[in-house]
Amino acid sequence: MNPDKQIAQVTPLRGILSVPNAANDTALDAQYWSTQMAAVSVHRDRASFMCVYDYFAPRLQRYLRNMHVPESMADELVQEALLILWRKADTFDPARASLATWLYRVARNLYIDHVRKEPHWLPVQEGLDRLDRAESDRRDSQPESIFDQDLLRQAIDHLPPMQAKLVRMSYLESKTHSEISRELDMPLGSVKSSLRRSFAKLQGSMGAPR
Amino acid sequence: MKPNHHLDDATLLSYSAGALPTALAVVASSHLERCKTCREQLRDADQIGGALMQQQRVGTPAPVARAAMLALLEDEQQGGPVTLSTDMVEERDPDRLPGALHPWFGNSMRALQWRRVAPGVQRILAKDVRGGDLMLLRIAPGSKLPLHSHGGNELTMILDGAYDDLLGHFGPGDVADLDGETLHQPVTSPGVPCICVAATDAPLVFSGWLARTLQPLFGF
Repeated sequence: MNPDKQIAQVTPLRGILSVPNAANDTALDAQYWSTQMAAVSVHRDRASFMCVYDYFAPRLQRYLRNMHVPESMADELVQEALLILWRKADTFDPARASLATWLYRVARNLYIDHVRKEPHWLPVQEGLDRLDRAESDRRDSQPESIFDQDLLRQAIDHLPPMQAKLVRMSYLESKTHSEISRELDMPLGSVKSSLRRSFAKLQGSMGAPR
Repeated sequence: MKPNHHLDDATLLSYSAGALPTALAVVASSHLERCKTCREQLRDADQIGGALMQQQRVGTPAPVARAAMLALLEDEQQGGPVTLSTDMVEERDPDRLPGALHPWFGNSMRALQWRRVAPGVQRILAKDVRGGDLMLLRIAPGSKLPLHSHGGNELTMILDGAYDDLLGHFGPGDVADLDGETLHQPVTSPGVPCICVAATDAPLVFSGWLARTLQPLFGF
């Protein structure tokens, strides 16, 4: 991708202090985020970055609050996650993951590190990320593509209610298989097979040509 | 060598959700470090997390938080460029344990301080693991363990040597991702000892497993 083609003029700081109005605009697509991130990465464009902030900060905040992170800590972690995005903007590759996924991963890692207090988690994840990047750099001719989450979102909406519930309990409440099993009075094996089936379905929606 | 036995999708999904108990997550990370197939699966699982995070209904950010973010960006620009860590993935050294094990067991296989728990069986138990057990096991070549099953979830990864059971041949890098219903009888391969890292989310049952496993065989 040639980012220069898509970058708007860098907006003066004054222009980005105004109240955001696009935070709930669901029409914002992968191409939009890719363009904003190219401006952040190449021109350190704060206006583009604040578009990302306005849309994702409240979502990351909600994600962390759902996991019972106290409000002030959630605020701090959201800020930290976005600061990491600002610093590492050049490692964001829209062909490998959506911006939502990139930020989700960072917020989850910060949650495990700060809230669950497992400080070993972060270096291990950074090691895995490096491996991942090294592998995709080695791929000869990566077709220009952007990971689009529309099909995945639709597939999530079409999961049978019980499967959707287990997926949400895992991702949005960070419940272990055993906790889900106890809470829903469901055999451990059934919890696992339900999650396996959901994963296969959702993965199928991602396998479509991008 | 490419692993042949992988993480269960349900395990990967929980790992991606940050919902796997610590001990299991350590073994899963060790396998992910050595398995491209599972890293690709994990990437898909992370996309689910991203989509769910994005789907939440929310309002606009608080002006105060927004101003604080802008102030941070201001500081960043005065602070000069950030240098990202560039250290490469270390060369595959047969003595080097997977990175995820370093905080618990150090980084060298040779330097491990084994404790004998039964003839032919040595063990190192990780300290202060919450909600489960994490241990290294070193089992003499050609040993036959009694038929047993496990309570709760158990994840084992082979670091060196190998064993066979009804699920197949398990060599370095392979994981056995088992739930309580699997009944098996591992037989370690001749030649070198089988060294593996094992984790469980049910410590009491697992202690029971170890006792049950080793008792009839070694009488302790």
